[in-house]
Amino acid sequence: MDGAAQLLDLEESDEKSVNSKSLATKPSGELVRVDRDKESAAERSKRFERDALQYMNQLYAAALRYTRNPDDAQDLVQDTYAKAYTSFHQFEPGTNLKAWLYRVLTTTFINTYRKDQRRPQRSDNEVEDWQLADAASHTSDQGKSAEEVALENLPDSDIKRALHEIPEEFRIAVYLADVEGFSYKEIAEIVDVPAGTVMSRLHRGRKQLREKLTEYARELGYVKGGKS
Amino acid sequence: MNQISCELCQEWLVPFIDNQIEDSAVFNEIAFHLQDCADCRTQLEIERRTIGVVRALLSRSCCETAPVTLQERVAHQLHLLQLQQLAGFTQTEIITQYRRTEITIDGETQIEIETSHEIRRDFPLP
Repeated sequence: MDGAAQLLDLEESDEKSVNSKSLATKPSGELVRVDRDKESAAERSKRFERDALQYMNQLYAAALRYTRNPDDAQDLVQDTYAKAYTSFHQFEPGTNLKAWLYRVLTTTFINTYRKDQRRPQRSDNEVEDWQLADAASHTSDQGKSAEEVALENLPDSDIKRALHEIPEEFRIAVYLADVEGFSYKEIAEIVDVPAGTVMSRLHRGRKQLREKLTEYARELGYVKGGKS
Repeated sequence: MNQISCELCQEWLVPFIDNQIEDSAVFNEIAFHLQDCADCRTQLEIERRTIGVVRALLSRSCCETAPVTLQERVAHQLHLLQLQQLAGFTQTEIITQYRRTEITIDGETQIEIETSHEIRRDFPLP
């Protein structure tokens, strides 16, 4: 079997669940049918407030990771809600609203906030890979390794710093997968790249992150020795 | 049985751990290979630990809540947008802004491509 071809299949499965049934969730959890053509502006606005605003904390935490500073993060979330509100008629009720909002957030970030960064965009292949050998030498057979215990002792500020230091594309992929729990397919739609690219960014991002965290733990003396 | 190579198996390790392999035939091939191959199992364990550590640490530290000022700003803005809607104000936003850098293979030339973004507001005639 050709596994590589299978991998490509995964990337292309950009399935759009086209369903004519348009459902939304009431606060009680019960599903209600929404007819977007008959819905008035006031009704839509109400539906937006009811369904979309509950994600503000999550969007803000994500925006902090994207922009790396609280002022820009607040601006980004505000812009995201404004854009989401004005294009809410395009959202298909019953599909994943959280993923849709993340898509608006990510697109807004890429289009607006990133423009100040005057650095050439690196393609995935150009980014140096980290060797697994080092990580392997720290792994013990049973339970947690000393390194893992050391990493758990790192303060939250160091963990955020490490995340902020890895390349943006990796940071976003790792955040969406490992904090928000989105699937590869959802991340592919949010970031607008093939699922195979998501996978590779995720893989490299996690490795770099772990490498940085180990470095910090070493500096703090939690992990003994230099490069073993 | 037709065994897959270690190289192929390792390519699939991350989606295997993330439980993102949708094709059950592929999933089974990987699982079979892992049963027989100690090297790939070691690699699986390393990857699994990396992912586990990253996930645990991130979930623990990335959970800020939106400040009250932000909640107020969003509420205020939604209110303004609602008023604009009532006034029959329509807004079309065309975002074509993006930036891209292209570098030639020899690395000698770099081209930056940038386009921009337009907001068009139509006011109803009095």
